[in-house]
Amino acid sequence: MKRILCLCHDVTDADIARAVRLGYDHPETIKRFTGALMGPCQGRSCAELVLDAIARETGVDPAMLRTPTSRPPSFPVRMALLAGGERVDR
Amino acid sequence: MAVPGIARGPLRPRYDAVIIGGGLQGVALAYELARKGMRDVCVVEASYPGAGASGRNGELIRSAFSSPEWATLFEISLRKWHTLSAELDVNVLFTPAGYLVLASTEADFRRCRLAAERHRQLGIRTDLLDARSVCQAVPALNPDRVAGGLFQRDGGFAHHDAVVWGYVRAAAWQGVEVHPFTTVTGIRVEGGRVTGVETTCGTISTPMVVDAAGGQAREVAALAGVALPTRTLRLEAFVTEALRPFLRPGVALLSLLGYCHQTTRGEFVGGTEQRIMEPEDSLRTTLVGLRDACQKFVDVFPLLAGVRLIRQWAGVVDLTPDLAPVLGPAPEVEGFWLDCGWIYGFMGAPGAALLLARAIVDGRMPAPLAPFTVERLYTGRLIKEASLVVASPESAA
Repeated sequence: MKRILCLCHDVTDADIARAVRLGYDHPETIKRFTGALMGPCQGRSCAELVLDAIARETGVDPAMLRTPTSRPPSFPVRMALLAGGERVDR
Repeated sequence: MAVPGIARGPLRPRYDAVIIGGGLQGVALAYELARKGMRDVCVVEASYPGAGASGRNGELIRSAFSSPEWATLFEISLRKWHTLSAELDVNVLFTPAGYLVLASTEADFRRCRLAAERHRQLGIRTDLLDARSVCQAVPALNPDRVAGGLFQRDGGFAHHDAVVWGYVRAAAWQGVEVHPFTTVTGIRVEGGRVTGVETTCGTISTPMVVDAAGGQAREVAALAGVALPTRTLRLEAFVTEALRPFLRPGVALLSLLGYCHQTTRGEFVGGTEQRIMEPEDSLRTTLVGLRDACQKFVDVFPLLAGVRLIRQWAGVVDLTPDLAPVLGPAPEVEGFWLDCGWIYGFMGAPGAALLLARAIVDGRMPAPLAPFTVERLYTGRLIKEASLVVASPESAA
């Protein structure tokens, strides 16, 4: 039975297993190959599940896995909100 | 390990050529060298393949530049892009949806008209579009920001990670070894010749080393005693949540210093630069950069106002004074080659790798590469290219 780990991009544990089998066996390349951690939640709701699955499939201790970098913004923000205020350029 | 095709064994003590940098330039060059019959080619990469600018760029592809030097090189590359998925047997998601240079002012439009004239002379197919035609082609544009545009119909964009993976796998089939997580700590030079490379995974003996280290190219060249007159610049980009398809072609905002496209997954990806950019080699992003990008893109595409931005990132490039890449041998050290100084490296890589492999294996510089050798940076005979969307005190764009 497949389990969806990443709700943004419907990535399942079987997708992670397949990625590793194909040779994408590093958190940074699994992320890019499957799209896990790359949706609107940016891993906030799924990183633990995804990294656990990677650890299981690669046999690497979860504590030793490189966690993909968190980037701004902390949560999805409408572009109009970020565009407010004085013009930056010119 | 990291991606399919990565070397499974340890580094060997000797290779015919060692390429420093497992980004798109390095892996594409390794593939082309092997195809030209060179054996025992090794790529060493400090992180995973494509970890640097190759996986951080804006993914756009065009050959419509206004100088003969750039246009010739990038046209060779564009032709390769059109058949690359078949050649590498990997879908690189090349999307020939066109590339629009948007003119927002009459001055922009005059630059587009001059460029179109040059393209006709160079045999590159572009269409000069009036404001109405641009709005018809891209209805999401704010008509107040459209003075016209220049459209390259067979330009577009591709998926940057897939291209790197495709070249790694195809190179591996040709016998190339790609070694990730292997950092270069020294380059051995004896009697004016390259003799080896020292890495965190052992020392390699080799008569040929290629510096394809992207944002770290200047530091790598310095290890061989070669001083590159380049400077490091950080560029920022962002991605939104996926939204309905609203934008087909890739778009460059000429005077606003921006570029963008909508991915096949529906996300809007873009980047902008400010008129004055401080030299910087950090991979951190800035709020100023984020606000600048949102101000420009919401102005140009009003529907983006309500779209949520989900991630901002940065990448570094090592820029030459004329923003053109450095391709060819380093004159002061025999066997040391340069494939660096790139800022349009994603779109230029397939063509440059093909030509540079010819130069290395045949021992003769192909004509399209000749203008890009490093000598121009010392003699001051710089390449003049007026259609770059890059902030720089040296460039007109």
